[in-house]
Amino acid sequence: MDTDCSGESPVEPKKRKSKTPRKAKDSVLKQKSPAEFFAENKNIAGFDNPGKCLYTTVRELVENSLDSAESISELPIIEVTIEEIGKIKFNSMIGLVDRERIDKELYDDFETAKAREKRLAKEARDQEVQAKSAALGKKVKEPSVQKSMKGRGETSYFRVTCKDNGRGMPHDDIPNMFGRVLSGTKYGLKQTRGKFGLGAKMALIWSKMSTGLPIEISSSMRGQSYTSFCRLDIDIHRNVPHIFLHEKKENTEGWHGAEIQVVIEGNWSTYRSKILHYMRQMAVITPYAQFLFKFVSDAADKNATIQFARRTNVMPPVPCETKHHPSAVDLLLIKRLIVETSKQNLLQFLQHEFVNIGKKYAERLIGEMGQDFSQKMAVKSLTSQQIVRIHQLFRQAKFDDPSGDCLSPAGEYNLRLGIIKELHPDMVATYSGSPQVFEGHPFIVEAGVSMGGKDVKQGLNIFRFANRIPLLFEQGADVVTRTALKRINWNNYKINQTQDKIGVFVSIVSTKIPFKGTGKEYIGDDISEIASAVKYSIQQCCVQLKSKIVKKIQAREQQERKRNLSKYIPNATGAIYDVLKEMARQHSSKRKHYDGEDVEILKKVSARVITEDTLQEKLAQHVEQVDYEMALDYATQSGVSEEPREDFYIQALEGANEFVDFRSPIFVFRLFQ
Amino acid sequence: MADKKKRRRTDQNSEDEDSVGHEVIPFKKRLKPDKVILSSLKDLVETLRSNNSSAQKTLTLSDLDLSFNCREVADLNLSSVQDAIERLILRITQSILSGSGFSFDVPARGNANQLYIPELDRIVLKDKTSIRPYANVSTVRKTTITTRILQLVHQLCLKNIHVTKRDLFYTDVKLFQDQGQSDAVLDDVSCMLGCTRSSLNVVAAEKGIVVGRLIFSDNGDMIDCTKMGMGGKAIPPNIDRVGDMQSDALFILLVEKDAAYMRLAEDRFYNRFPCIIVTAKGQPDVATRLFLRKMKTELKLPVLALVDSDPYGLKILSVYGCGSKNMSYDSANLTTPDIKWLGIRPSDLDKYKIPEQCRLPMTEQDIKTGKDMLEEDFVKKNPGWVDELSLMVKTKQKAEIQALSSFGFQYLSEVYLPLKLQQEDWL
Repeated sequence: MDTDCSGESPVEPKKRKSKTPRKAKDSVLKQKSPAEFFAENKNIAGFDNPGKCLYTTVRELVENSLDSAESISELPIIEVTIEEIGKIKFNSMIGLVDRERIDKELYDDFETAKAREKRLAKEARDQEVQAKSAALGKKVKEPSVQKSMKGRGETSYFRVTCKDNGRGMPHDDIPNMFGRVLSGTKYGLKQTRGKFGLGAKMALIWSKMSTGLPIEISSSMRGQSYTSFCRLDIDIHRNVPHIFLHEKKENTEGWHGAEIQVVIEGNWSTYRSKILHYMRQMAVITPYAQFLFKFVSDAADKNATIQFARRTNVMPPVPCETKHHPSAVDLLLIKRLIVETSKQNLLQFLQHEFVNIGKKYAERLIGEMGQDFSQKMAVKSLTSQQIVRIHQLFRQAKFDDPSGDCLSPAGEYNLRLGIIKELHPDMVATYSGSPQVFEGHPFIVEAGVSMGGKDVKQGLNIFRFANRIPLLFEQGADVVTRTALKRINWNNYKINQTQDKIGVFVSIVSTKIPFKGTGKEYIGDDISEIASAVKYSIQQCCVQLKSKIVKKIQAREQQERKRNLSKYIPNATGAIYDVLKEMARQHSSKRKHYDGEDVEILKKVSARVITEDTLQEKLAQHVEQVDYEMALDYATQSGVSEEPREDFYIQALEGANEFVDFRSPIFVFRLFQ
Repeated sequence: MADKKKRRRTDQNSEDEDSVGHEVIPFKKRLKPDKVILSSLKDLVETLRSNNSSAQKTLTLSDLDLSFNCREVADLNLSSVQDAIERLILRITQSILSGSGFSFDVPARGNANQLYIPELDRIVLKDKTSIRPYANVSTVRKTTITTRILQLVHQLCLKNIHVTKRDLFYTDVKLFQDQGQSDAVLDDVSCMLGCTRSSLNVVAAEKGIVVGRLIFSDNGDMIDCTKMGMGGKAIPPNIDRVGDMQSDALFILLVEKDAAYMRLAEDRFYNRFPCIIVTAKGQPDVATRLFLRKMKTELKLPVLALVDSDPYGLKILSVYGCGSKNMSYDSANLTTPDIKWLGIRPSDLDKYKIPEQCRLPMTEQDIKTGKDMLEEDFVKKNPGWVDELSLMVKTKQKAEIQALSSFGFQYLSEVYLPLKLQQEDWL
């Protein structure tokens, strides 16, 4: 292995830990634990910088909580608390004595004498300018606050706590669920929020990297008399949990769920808006959940508590695990399925391990495979070549599309409710598409388009959801953004793309979301099936809106018609009168001859019986009359004007009541007895 | 002198030409002496003139027995325009005084109201009109603008002066908002009054230029277009001031672009082959079209067009030939029949071995325009044009006149055009 350094000087045999995964000069074969790999490439999981780390930590914890509560059909109640910990407090927490700086020049933010001179000169100049402008009575601009510290210095430490009312975790599984990367409960083929079994573990790895503090987990399952408490961190090199404390405590409140607390380095000021956006969008797509978000810090003015209230009790069904579709499997997957299957022969294997292969179809497939195959042959005895043959046939044969039954979309009702609840739009339309297929994976696109509302910018506001989680980053390349910006002709629907406050909400659910890039932050624009489904769904919403908008425009025109018609009266009559005056002058000076009725008019003009005012008056009368007629027309067409309306919401009543639900796709009518 | 220059360049080129084969050299060697070309051109003009005198009568709308009415306008003198405006104003005054508001009956100038008549070889306007009432939200602005334009034109009639479209727009910017609106209404007004736009005393700014063997009078001054320097004479916006055209030219050369025009003017191409060179620098304006028509009818010369080899070149040719849709109401005065397509034609690209790097690929839009034009009647009437355009759409290549500069800047005036004339290679 190391005989290849013939001409080169021999590399120093120093034991050096290479930062890059590439085997560099010393070519010693090393192995890396998954935890190590992710610690070094934490950007893959969305842990790019301290700010993003804080965001991703919150996000992963919230999503885990939602999954957990939904898995036991419990309406989620989630509390997220971010507590800012100053450096002094942090040091005392870890038992480090805060030291004074002695060698001041050692520090990056030390100001040299030269820099100081420069700064003072600049400040003096600024003051001079300010004094001048103040003397001239100009508005004095606030002196720009100097950035005291550089990038990394600004970060501080945060304790992130997330408490839910979910399933909780079995006492003995807790260490492995948090202390082992790439172990998880969500690996089956179904629609899930998380996928890689990374989220909480990455938060732990990050806390270990930035603060060295362990993660604390409290958990209790339904009907358990005790609460598990566990404090642990992760042995990155071996990818195993490192347990500090693992004990059972008494559970007095009958609480079930999990509470996870982790202390990490982060940056609140730059990612504050992202985290709040995330919470808000989460509230849009899960209106059946209740979120309480708290930010606590030493500075009281920065503290914030935001509650996203529950608006419905209707939860989407729990997505069920499904079998693979034959056109979506690869060789490796087939081999794994063969290893795992409990079925004995090939026929049963095909029939039971895949969707959309019935008995008849399985027989036909086996017949097509060739003479080496038979229905009764033992599935575990298949050779590699035979498996390749099966794979090839799966690729070429025609199968029915997988059904969308295994998916759990947010539902038109919930989407609509979420939009109304969080944005208070003037108008909203929603549409739920039928299941479609991309590479053997079913997907459903739901869309909503809203107009107006609070905290909505002018122009397009795009809200993207994939498997019911909001996507906030990499908006530009996303299929939804591209479609809304480029492929929808908003003018067709009487929507002004730049002036109106448009909210576009698209939620895509699938057993496999084709994310682009490593961060799972956007869906590429190159999948025509998804792109056309997105376009169609948005268009359907727009069609619904159009009739409402047209009515609104008509109503506005009604109000403005008279004003618009009257506006031009002076222009028109002025021009007419001008010509008449010229004619009258020519007539009186006999330069030109007119006859009949015309003479009468011209005489009246000369005698100032007909003036510009007369014309204006007459035309105004006519406009009034036309306006009256049209208003009458409009009233008979659109019916009596509507009563003023006010929105009101009925709070869910406490306690168990006798009631009957009348459900429809867009509303639920609950009759209390 | 010119001969020497030519020969020298031929020598320089000879080494490339060997590699290409014997085809390229003949382009210059194929040229016969100018005398031969000139005599053949003279014959051509003779036959044209004699033909013309025999079949003198040009068809007009009234000669055709059409099943529907068409709207045509005529040159009216100022007092008739004034009368027409006054009649209209009196009518709407009465209407206002009687309390029923007012409205204009404006001829529709939309696409649906246009028709190409093959016998006349031009586009005409059918007689559909639309009512433009004041008391309607969608037409109130246009009606007001129409009234205002009528008043302004009336003033022009009284004072007997000419103004430009821009002048007109600036008299009431607040109402007109942009010049497009006042220009469109101006066309409506001339259509409504049944007169040409020049009769309204409103002209467009000068755009076209002319140079070459032409003498004419502009507002009483005699202009000799051979003595106008390189820039040439700007084509006057009011054709009614132009008269007394004299020329010893053998043909009129219509050039699409300024650049090619400049090359020909600087090389004094009109002295080697007596001709008149005209360009409107792109889409032709009304003045240039009127001027060309006047030259053609008075001097009875063949008109040869030198345009880019792309769909727009042919489109420009068609505007000279059968009129634009916007001005179809006046197509009788604006169109020049029987314009020949000299170059650059799609078939020339290969015939003159224009190198690959000078040809441009056509865009989607170009190809679409090309295909649409193949459906147009004015193209279909000329089988040669159909072949050329089909070739262009098929090869998906276009080239500008400047592509010829790849053989030297003067190739156009010294080889390409003389050869074309010698071969009488036009469609």
